[in-house]
Amino acid sequence: MRAAQLFFGDCGVKRLGRILIWVTVPLLGAGALEKIALDRGESLNAIWFVIAAVCCYLVAYRLYSAFLAAKLLALDDTRATPSERRDDGRDFVPTNKWVLFGHHFAAIAGPGPLVGPTLAAQFGYLPGTLWLIAGAAFAGCVQDFIILFCSIRRDGKSIGQMAREEVSKRGGFIAQLAVLAIMVILLGVVALVVVNALKSSPWATFTLAMTIPIALLVGVYLRFVRPGRVLEASLMGVALILFVVFAGQWVADSPSWARVFTLGGVPLAFAIIVYAFAASALPVWLLLAPRDYLSAFIKAGAIFALAAGILFVRPHVLMPPLTRFIDGSGPVFAGKIFPFCFITIACGAISGFHSLISSGTTPKMILRESHARFIGYGAMLLESFVGVMAMVAACAMTPGVYFAINSPPSIVGATPDAAAATISGWGFPLTAQTMSGLAHAVGEQTLWNRAGGAPSLAVGMAQIFSNTIGGERLLSIWYHFAIMFEALFILTVLDAGTRVGRFMVQELGGRMWKPFGRTGWMPSILVSSAIIVGMWGYFLYQGVVDPLGGINSLWPLFGISNQLLAAVALVVATTILLKMGRMRWIWVTLLPMAWLVIITMTASYQKIFDANPRIGFLAYANALIAQIAAGKIPAAKLMDTQRLIFNQRLDAAVTAVLALMVIVLIVEALVQWYGILSSRRAPVLHESPYVQTQWAAGYSGVAQGDD
Amino acid sequence: MRGAAKNIRRFARHFWRGVREWCGDAAYERYLRSSPSQGDGGRRLSAQEFYVQQLNRRYSQPNRCC
Repeated sequence: MRAAQLFFGDCGVKRLGRILIWVTVPLLGAGALEKIALDRGESLNAIWFVIAAVCCYLVAYRLYSAFLAAKLLALDDTRATPSERRDDGRDFVPTNKWVLFGHHFAAIAGPGPLVGPTLAAQFGYLPGTLWLIAGAAFAGCVQDFIILFCSIRRDGKSIGQMAREEVSKRGGFIAQLAVLAIMVILLGVVALVVVNALKSSPWATFTLAMTIPIALLVGVYLRFVRPGRVLEASLMGVALILFVVFAGQWVADSPSWARVFTLGGVPLAFAIIVYAFAASALPVWLLLAPRDYLSAFIKAGAIFALAAGILFVRPHVLMPPLTRFIDGSGPVFAGKIFPFCFITIACGAISGFHSLISSGTTPKMILRESHARFIGYGAMLLESFVGVMAMVAACAMTPGVYFAINSPPSIVGATPDAAAATISGWGFPLTAQTMSGLAHAVGEQTLWNRAGGAPSLAVGMAQIFSNTIGGERLLSIWYHFAIMFEALFILTVLDAGTRVGRFMVQELGGRMWKPFGRTGWMPSILVSSAIIVGMWGYFLYQGVVDPLGGINSLWPLFGISNQLLAAVALVVATTILLKMGRMRWIWVTLLPMAWLVIITMTASYQKIFDANPRIGFLAYANALIAQIAAGKIPAAKLMDTQRLIFNQRLDAAVTAVLALMVIVLIVEALVQWYGILSSRRAPVLHESPYVQTQWAAGYSGVAQGDD
Repeated sequence: MRGAAKNIRRFARHFWRGVREWCGDAAYERYLRSSPSQGDGGRRLSAQEFYVQQLNRRYSQPNRCC
């Protein structure tokens, strides 16, 4: 070191160090990717996934995001951000970039990057992992970063408002409708994941039920005892939640209590619907906000623990790189690797929903334009890493167990022996005893056909955690901790989403009848909450009673709608870039947009029209009609079958309407683009005017006297 | 050695302040430091009033994602 210092001088050593790092990182990343992609014959250590992902993220951040910041967006730190110009201590609050990164990440990280990769693991570990990394670097992070930038330049306007101003009025209306429709589907699907995780599990149901009184307690403490002291109240709540996770085993062991908390799919679905209605209609400080605080702390802790566990245990990945199910015959969900791998992964690679956050609170709190790179691009990289960890956790368990947990009985067989024989026949050896032993070890009655991703991820996480602390003895505690963690923050998405959906319904209703638009008027609150809960509740119910396992129909529907919203966001971003005169770099948003349109339109077409009843909604409806006509359906099941037919047609109609809305928006945008490119229309940007910052160059959001 | 201890203390202080800001503990202090808003008739809200208003605003727009 001393010799190098003498030879190169102080600056030279730093430069040399940087050169060495930036030569090593890409080489290491390429080596790890090669290991993942080409390694055959021996089981692969999960540490290669971590190295490949982290190195790719570092290179993408260092090069691609720097290019976007400097060339495409030309971020300008001399320009005052909305938080400086409109600082009100409430919405517009200048915030340190690390703190805002934490806020933004807590907002974008939901159940999607955990569940999606777990389900996509049925294709093998390779396609999902590659898409998680590449999709985030070239599509997801780009979308989040550019939409955040656009919103900062427009005083924190939402994606709907930007679509209205920059694309067209109709475009804005379509974007708003699309957001509402997508939210309804999203809430129905994530609720289904919770139901499948809690079904017939008294321990998990008790734990999650107890989070409600704990949240009420925290809410009352924060409102009346020590207003706004979130940290102490949340830590108290987290300690209580950890206690009820532990106490759940006593409930499961007590025959009388276990009976109370052992619920089937339909009663659980109704319980969740009633809960979400209450959380939406009750004052926000009482239930919704304190749950959100608890969820944020547990989410941060569990994600950190999963990363630490994977690094500590370094499990071997047992799933093959590619499975036979790339041909579309997968038991977890049907459909070929293209387009369904991309549709299923969804949030871990690119999520349209992030555009709502990037054009929501974050742009109002950002301190400097240059922070948008770290917060917009960087937080999405971290989300993608969560997806890679979920993939590792799912692929580190025996593949036979993975398929046993995630496959519906209509595919693998109703009895454990039949199901084990089917799965072994696919080349993934499994015995019924293995499954009953595992269920016993994690404290569950059964682990067969628990589709939805949450239970299999919980088994994977529990195995990693128990290898770190506690061994086999604590497997059941870790499993229920993982289930609680997933269910808790899915419920947070549910109640927060229901409340936001309620406001959207009130806004739309208020256009027709003014009093309905008053957000504080109790009849309007109750009716609008009932409408939004009724809409997603219907999708939840249809998923619970679906004999093919609702995940097979609903997760792709969710993926399609989420990716369609991402396409909407990229259409808006492309239009703005064109107006800014960035024609040379337009491929940055145009290519991911085109890719999303291709995969969503292909998936939509297949989900509606494919001849395979497991893929095509209409084909499934027609198959059921044929069964009725042939007299194969007993009279007692006729009503259920009729409803199933209606549900399939409804799903087909919803998919078609969503796809049509996006096509209309794209046509609107194409007209705009043609006008701009042919110079028939002067490009009018709706940016806020430039105001020079008054802050010193080194200001980092720390108030005077704080240091 | 003394320099290292000072740096650690400084980091711990920054970290603690970051955690308080992230979880919302410091929101009211921030509000008191900002210029008075026109909407409250020029008066400052109490900690309780501010807390409830803050929550109502935050949870009326998308703030949790999938």
